[in-house]
Amino acid sequence: MFKDITLGQYFPVDSVAHRLDPRTKLVLLILYIVAVFIVKDIWVFGFIIAFMLFMTAMSKVPLNYVLKAIKPMKLLLPLMFLLNLFMIKSGHILFSWKFITVTTGGLRQALFIVLRLIALVTGASLLTLTTTPVSLTEGLERLLSPLKAVKFPVHELAMMMTIALRFIPTLLEEADKIMKAQLARGADLESGNIFKKAKAMIPILIPLFVNSFRRAEELALAMESRCYHGGEGRTRLKVLKFHMRDLWAVLIFAALIAVVVILQNTFPIDRYAADLILGLLGKKQ
Amino acid sequence: MPIVIEKLTYTYQSGSVNAFTAIMDVSLTIHDGEFVGLIGHTGSGKSTLIQQLNGLMQPTSGKVLVDGFDMSDKKQRAKGRALVGMVFQYPDYQLFDETVYKDISFGPKNMKLAPDEIDRRVREAMRLVGLDFDEFAEKSPFELSGGEKRRTALAGIIAMYPKYLVLDEPMAGLDPAGRRAVLAMIDDFRKQLGCAVVMVSHSMDDIARSADKVIVLRDGAIFASGTPAEIFSRSDELYEMGLEPPFAARMASELKRHGFRLPGGIYTNEALADALAAYKGGDLNV
Amino acid sequence: MLSIKNVSFTYDSGTPALSDVSLEIKDGEFVCIVGHNGSGKSTLAKLFNGLLLPSSGTVEVNGMDTADDEKTLDIRRLVGMVFQNPDNQIVTTVVREDVAFGPENLGIPTDEMIIRVDEALKAVGMESYAESAPHMLSGGQKQRIAIAGMLAMEPEILVLDEATAMLDPMGRADIIRIVRDLNREKHITVIMITQYMEEAVGVDRVIVINNGSIEMDGTPAEIFSHGDELRAIGLDVPPAVELRELLKSRGIADCGSAMTLEEISDNLCRSLLKN
Repeated sequence: MFKDITLGQYFPVDSVAHRLDPRTKLVLLILYIVAVFIVKDIWVFGFIIAFMLFMTAMSKVPLNYVLKAIKPMKLLLPLMFLLNLFMIKSGHILFSWKFITVTTGGLRQALFIVLRLIALVTGASLLTLTTTPVSLTEGLERLLSPLKAVKFPVHELAMMMTIALRFIPTLLEEADKIMKAQLARGADLESGNIFKKAKAMIPILIPLFVNSFRRAEELALAMESRCYHGGEGRTRLKVLKFHMRDLWAVLIFAALIAVVVILQNTFPIDRYAADLILGLLGKKQ
Repeated sequence: MPIVIEKLTYTYQSGSVNAFTAIMDVSLTIHDGEFVGLIGHTGSGKSTLIQQLNGLMQPTSGKVLVDGFDMSDKKQRAKGRALVGMVFQYPDYQLFDETVYKDISFGPKNMKLAPDEIDRRVREAMRLVGLDFDEFAEKSPFELSGGEKRRTALAGIIAMYPKYLVLDEPMAGLDPAGRRAVLAMIDDFRKQLGCAVVMVSHSMDDIARSADKVIVLRDGAIFASGTPAEIFSRSDELYEMGLEPPFAARMASELKRHGFRLPGGIYTNEALADALAAYKGGDLNV
Repeated sequence: MLSIKNVSFTYDSGTPALSDVSLEIKDGEFVCIVGHNGSGKSTLAKLFNGLLLPSSGTVEVNGMDTADDEKTLDIRRLVGMVFQNPDNQIVTTVVREDVAFGPENLGIPTDEMIIRVDEALKAVGMESYAESAPHMLSGGQKQRIAIAGMLAMEPEILVLDEATAMLDPMGRADIIRIVRDLNREKHITVIMITQYMEEAVGVDRVIVINNGSIEMDGTPAEIFSHGDELRAIGLDVPPAVELRELLKSRGIADCGSAMTLEEISDNLCRSLLKN
């Protein structure tokens, strides 16, 4: 039953976004993060979101798949919003009741943190939706390869990621079988308090660990038999090649940063908006 | 009272796009003390079927009744499960404790038996699987050889005194001597504990030796069910399905094609030799 | 050619696994090594490509000593090894890339690697699974991928260390058929380590290992004429041979050295059906 788990939530369609070189996509993610962090005006986020929708359209991934990434944060986001709203006191007081005070600075900060988180998570999820874990690992390895000069174990790290990706489904399946074997021996995994439950997991975790170590040993032998001797002198089946589209993508993302900088310096709409809100509330600046 | 399976259907991920029906409308009965051999390809639904027997999976539709306990019902399931001992293919899935003794007592402890009863059962189970108490009781199960691990895993289930013993490929990966030993052991439990045995195996030769009844599964449904003689007389069909019928049954069928007149229901080399002995004098030759 | 001279091997724990084994396997031979669990047959296999080094004696592949560090990679390229557990020898998450793992390690140029991978997948009949995820395949299919991974390194010797033990009858039959074809058509030397005596029928040579030394060495016909000795060391004979023994001992028919269903059937038709 664990066989159906798809790793890294890759969404298999053919699109420009899927065909981009993984290295390019990693660079794009960095550019995008830069853009998200240099935004100083709330309204410019409207532009970032528009750009996000444009990227989603280019990737042919349904929007609700991209938005699914926000779901795990459904508790975190409101919490972050409220914390920032109530804790940060700067600018003008918008609202005050007993010990609760809302300021313009707090509202701004609260909106920023939520919008930034959403923008970052959807951007990163768009990367994993359009890139298989394998090519992501590959892209990372090549992108970081200059670090080999300072003895950073780039190849080893990538190899570890690959093996982890390969064995996660196998281990999940094995965990399922072990659980069943112990249930059949009357193991009680459900009742009792948290300590009792933790103790009940021992008969499952120990075989899982022991088997994993044995697997690791056998895998090492198999890899040695296949002439594995580290990253030195290795060639690759898949050669990553940059295309024109990669250049275009980088240019578009660089333009995004430029536009963000220009927009918020030319049209500081936020300030007017703040004045407007204050005016509506009957407060003088 | 028997295990009764009525119109059992099981669908994985029922209701989703990946829904896959592994068992379809299967009905069968396993009587007290019976030895049932279950045969079928990988993917024929064998594993799914035996996991229903002790409620590790519950029917999508239909019923599994173990001595009258409905395995779909959470409360009754616990009582039914206590009657069904299940030995999985690889002992590595179940061995976990520090010593062989502690590992075998895991099941009986879960049954909340008295300490001296647990001790008695562990000793008896070890004797039945041929593990010397003084030599093995305090050993770590992880230091054992493949065959010894298998025995320990079996003992862990035997000590629960199941009324029905379900074995998934108990001989997989063992050498010929190991296979013979495990098969003899299973026969032994049956006699001494009076339990019924359901054995899944790819090797029909192994099943032919002990089974009272043979069930052949194909694509989640019962393809054939009957005595070994009845089932193995259809060895050509089984062979076509990619199964490995007992050698003697295939041999008998081949010889019949060449004009030998042999009685039906031959599935052991001994029986085949008996039948061929009639030809020796030449008096039966056409 | 694989040549083993006076090899003994003792594990670090002090357990002796092999004592004074000498053996020569010629190019193009199809050899089956049989023995019960713990007889030392798997230890022997691991000596073939230098995964283990002998405690004493020498193992040479095409004249290269496995103890010579400089030759390790050359030897492992020449001696392909398939292990028992199909899950524990596939390294990556896509079939094609896994087959390429060996050639990648050898530094084979990409253009050539692509050809090799495609050919290797074709040789094991798995070309339509090139882009699949290994964990979705059956045990037999995984073993075929493992064999393809070896073929892509263009080995001269293929060692199967109980590679069929965890498979169902169909998976087992597939593997046997594939290695037979490789032996016949590509002249790859095959060394198959197994507990299934049926697999030894039809090979060139059977070597029986017991308690760390060679007990018997001969053609299948020779080996299987010693049924009682095989049973005494925890082994067996194929069912056809068992029937043959039974027919002979009961004086019903003498089927000579027949080892398969067809041979026995032919024999009985000739001897018992006198039309």
